[in-house]
Amino acid sequence: MTEKTWQYEEYEVFLRRSHQEPQVHVGSLLAPSPDVALILARENFMRRDPAVSIWVVPSKQVTEATGESGFLSREMDRKYREVAGYTENGRLWRMFKEKAITLEEIVAYVEGRNQESKRERRAERG
Amino acid sequence: MDHRTEEFVERIRRGGKVEATDWMPDEYRKLLIKLIHMHAVSEIMGAYPEKEWVPKAPTLRRKLAIMAKVQDEMGHGQLLLRVVEDLAAPLGKTREDLIADIYTGKVKFHNVFHMEARTWADAGVIGWLVDGAAIINQAALLETSYAPYARVLKRICAEESFHMQHGENIILALAMGTKQQRQMLQEALNYWWESLLFFFGPKEVTPAAERMLYYRIRTKTNEELRQKFLDKYVPRIQSLGLTIPDEQLRYDRERKAWVYSEPDWDKFGRIVRENRGPKSRERMELRRSAHEEQRWVREAMARSHLPAG
Repeated sequence: MTEKTWQYEEYEVFLRRSHQEPQVHVGSLLAPSPDVALILARENFMRRDPAVSIWVVPSKQVTEATGESGFLSREMDRKYREVAGYTENGRLWRMFKEKAITLEEIVAYVEGRNQESKRERRAERG
Repeated sequence: MDHRTEEFVERIRRGGKVEATDWMPDEYRKLLIKLIHMHAVSEIMGAYPEKEWVPKAPTLRRKLAIMAKVQDEMGHGQLLLRVVEDLAAPLGKTREDLIADIYTGKVKFHNVFHMEARTWADAGVIGWLVDGAAIINQAALLETSYAPYARVLKRICAEESFHMQHGENIILALAMGTKQQRQMLQEALNYWWESLLFFFGPKEVTPAAERMLYYRIRTKTNEELRQKFLDKYVPRIQSLGLTIPDEQLRYDRERKAWVYSEPDWDKFGRIVRENRGPKSRERMELRRSAHEEQRWVREAMARSHLPAG
């Protein structure tokens, strides 16, 4: 076995693929210093994927909690917090001769990705 | 079996995944080290046959592509070595040891990477069929119970999809080329075919493989994977007008399986165990000199910087 007179450190690598996205963990590597870790991270994780930012963090600086400790467990029903908890809206709106809309539809409409809303088309026809 | 091991196996059976920091039975750890160390080293040694074609690639585009591939293989080796390091740390092994194991003969690598890439068609067949076989192996490991390995495999497979297209493109160009080029391609297939069958390993489920299946480190047998390879590739090879150098090769509809002449298990077994393939010594020596002669650089970089944190 090699005599341990010198040793490299482990670094965790995080990439931000675009400014709209969070910095995401992509893997880890072994490096002698943070600046070399950055170079290796670019070579190892950015050969194809573009990124706008890259972090390297010494692995030993990471504080982790896992599911096993119970720390991440979810005892309660969280439907009341979620879209899935309100599926009855579709049925209720139908009683008013309307349909339910989603946030995604509104965002697409605001950004002009749908040329026009159905209501507008209906108004034009009317 | 002690209580902890029982719980561990039960968890895996339910589809649970294991992380590097989780408790795991020694046997599980050792099986993983053996498998992933060999995989890592095979990626690194797998870059050599193609590296030899970088200076000789027929066009600039081919040169750039094959260089990119060599770089990918080395990158895959690095990702996999990180996974092994975490597993081997409790046993006191470091990256330096894992690399040195290659040229001291303590770790094996795949038979195909002991072979010679004699012609450009050989380089093409490596990209097409050797990578094709490796992709089938790796795709089958994506559902492994060891999560850090699964994550790295996912990244590797994404890049292999480029390798696959790259290899096929070389082959298609040769298949549509001159008579000499088609002949070169046929000769390459003849040279590699037996190695490709051997690549998937022995037909019988060895005791080590049996334990890997038990722990869901892998979920398919060698023979299942070899059959999948034949399913996928035999029709494509034949569609190019190439002849597979095996007169016994046929699909048995009743057994729903390919029948093939067995490769020379002894010959290839020796090549892998004793590093006695046509290119084993030369490539291992290159690996040794690259590692030993650059040690001072790695050491200087480590010494010139105070560890972070």
